[in-house]
Amino acid sequence: MGAMAEAFYRTAAQLAGSGCDELPREFQPDKHLIYSSPATLAFNSPGAQGFGVKRAGLAIPGSVMLLISPGCCGRNTAASGPSGGYSGRMFYMLLDETDIVTGRHLSKIPGAVKEICGYCSEKPTAVMLCITCVDALLGTDMERVCRSAQEAAHVPVVPCYMYALTREGRHPPMAAVRKAVYSLLKPMAKRADCMNIIGSFSPLSGGCELYRLFHKAGVRHIREISRCTSFGEYLNMAQANFNLVLNPESRLASGWMEKALRIPSIEISRMYQIDKIHNQYRLMAKALDIPWEDQQDYNAAQEEIARFREKYGGTVFAIGEIADADPFELSLALLRYGFRVSEIYGTINKINFRFLQKIAVLSPDTRVYSNLSPTMLYYRPSTPQAGITVGKDAAYYNPGCAHVMWCGEEQPFGYDGVRSLFKAFAKALEGVAK
Amino acid sequence: MKGLLKVLSPFAPDQSGAVEALYEFGGIIVVCDAGGCTGNICGFDEPRWFKKKSAIFSVGLRDMDAILGRDDRLISKLKAAAEGSGANFVAVIGTPVPAVIGTDFRALKRIGEKKVGLPFLTIGTKGTGLYDVGEEDALLQLLKTFALEALPVEKGTLGVLGATPLDISSLSAAEKFTEAYRQKGWKDVRCYGMGSGINAVRRASAAQQNLVVSPAGLKTARYLQKKFGTPFTVCCPLPHKLPCGFQSFYGKRLLIIHQQVLADTLRDSILQSTDADVTVASWFMMDRALRESQDLHFESEQQFQTTVMRGGYDVILGDKMMKRALPDYKGKWIDLPHFAVSGRLVP
Repeated sequence: MGAMAEAFYRTAAQLAGSGCDELPREFQPDKHLIYSSPATLAFNSPGAQGFGVKRAGLAIPGSVMLLISPGCCGRNTAASGPSGGYSGRMFYMLLDETDIVTGRHLSKIPGAVKEICGYCSEKPTAVMLCITCVDALLGTDMERVCRSAQEAAHVPVVPCYMYALTREGRHPPMAAVRKAVYSLLKPMAKRADCMNIIGSFSPLSGGCELYRLFHKAGVRHIREISRCTSFGEYLNMAQANFNLVLNPESRLASGWMEKALRIPSIEISRMYQIDKIHNQYRLMAKALDIPWEDQQDYNAAQEEIARFREKYGGTVFAIGEIADADPFELSLALLRYGFRVSEIYGTINKINFRFLQKIAVLSPDTRVYSNLSPTMLYYRPSTPQAGITVGKDAAYYNPGCAHVMWCGEEQPFGYDGVRSLFKAFAKALEGVAK
Repeated sequence: MKGLLKVLSPFAPDQSGAVEALYEFGGIIVVCDAGGCTGNICGFDEPRWFKKKSAIFSVGLRDMDAILGRDDRLISKLKAAAEGSGANFVAVIGTPVPAVIGTDFRALKRIGEKKVGLPFLTIGTKGTGLYDVGEEDALLQLLKTFALEALPVEKGTLGVLGATPLDISSLSAAEKFTEAYRQKGWKDVRCYGMGSGINAVRRASAAQQNLVVSPAGLKTARYLQKKFGTPFTVCCPLPHKLPCGFQSFYGKRLLIIHQQVLADTLRDSILQSTDADVTVASWFMMDRALRESQDLHFESEQQFQTTVMRGGYDVILGDKMMKRALPDYKGKWIDLPHFAVSGRLVP
């Protein structure tokens, strides 16, 4: 391939100057081919790594999934076999060309669900029927198929739409699956001391102040789907007095829960700017009318940042998007704490553009790359290199740096997330020093 | 129920085979999908993805592209990606979405070549077939496109057809084949698709002989034989040593499950030194000319389970992932990794 080609980038100042609606073509994924870089596989194929629809659909305790698709759609689940913890929970109904042309597979689904239930050593609590682009294009009425399957197998059957084609639509797959996993909840009497945290499929980090502060405010039961160990416990999520939504992709689910289960919700976002976290908590506590004393947590986070700055004040960061953070918000936070950010690898949207505008003021020369641009095939690290990378993608692009992947199973949030991140930075740099 | 997998997971699909066959030839490979298929290919089926760069892209189809059939947008995206890239060709790989909407790949090739100015290979894979079907088509199209001239035969030159990590389950297959055949007197071993690039393909007619190492290479070998008179042999030396010697197979009933050429080669080796009764079986293509009367082709998990259990085999040589489907099998299982089955490379 061409030796002269280079990865496309623009500085923060250039991008902020162009405006969110006038971004260069390379920053508009619908205008170019998508580079499925080793750095961003989780972005381009959410099913391949991280919580894709297949893994997310199995969040209901005791459930199993039947993937109804051509063989190609289920191929990567070979990796989540016995060692992946999903052994015995994934089943496949492979479509051939005749199925696709005639739709005959739809009449076989109830029989397949029955066969799977008979095969499992314990009857599943629910069967998730996962369908893909093929059925999106065929216009399959999966709700109806689920009803037939439910009658045949006497088990709840829930549709799961893995429609990659609709990723930028009104109900993208990850939003739809978030609704699907709560769809078996039935209205229950509300309890003032119960709440749910919704948004991710793995639990919040155990040290997160939200648990402690809500307990202090009188909430006895804080439920998350990933912490439910039984189907009964999952059903008790319907007792919640309110839902705390931590991911905007859960709005469809929270809207449904509000309507069907009369559970109102309040949404807060993951941030790394501690003043913004404080402000967000203050507004949340005011809306919920609960006492909220987070000064100690604020101070602890501030001290952690100061400790790191004292030791590694001149650190330069390269920030990626395959991490538990918005790369632009995290970059802005680091710049505001007095560090330098040399590169950001991210996808710009209307929400994070406002962070980019602020970055442009603090660090106009920060280079911004689009992970999805085909030109990223030619990426070479800039000189001098950053000291620390954050995210799997940034690590891939800058192999010579200290790396903090920051995309574990437990979800970082709030002041605890900030503290843990700075601890991880220190650990990574100490590792390099050794 | 046919098509229902309760224990096994799906094997590598046709689109993965097509991409793997073209991986090392310096082309722009475009998977005509919404993103998930490309992620599956690069993230799971192509072990070279993390070590050796190749220009594999997703079209990033969205619902309205599929509904309106906006091929013009695809051509314009391709043109932009090809500019200044120095690519040797463009390959468009089919997936279930173009299969459902009936994309006209021939028209795409005609228009694409005109607008982009590079040779186009369009592989009409559908995601419903297995990897070898896509590999076979891609390899044949590649040779038909680039091996045009009948060059004088270069003595001592051996062309290797049908080698991909999916078939051989090894990233060092080219080196191993080269070493093995140099010892047999061949001077120049060209492993198309693993090690040898597009110039070797352009000079394919100069090979004294071709070696076919998987069924996916047979069609191309027959084409080259017909077009240039290049003879071929069929053999796939094992990319790794078995944990036990063949002596333990004396008087035993054996089943070898893999791609047909590798399994056949292993059978021949075993039969040279033992009196074992050996059956070859495969989930993938089985060429009639190579197949013996007792050989088996598996089409469903249920058929696999019943056939193997009724067969009374003392020893099974196959990818250990399949063992999960035979919990009651009491014989000996010797692991023979097959990347297209389990995504495992040989140690």
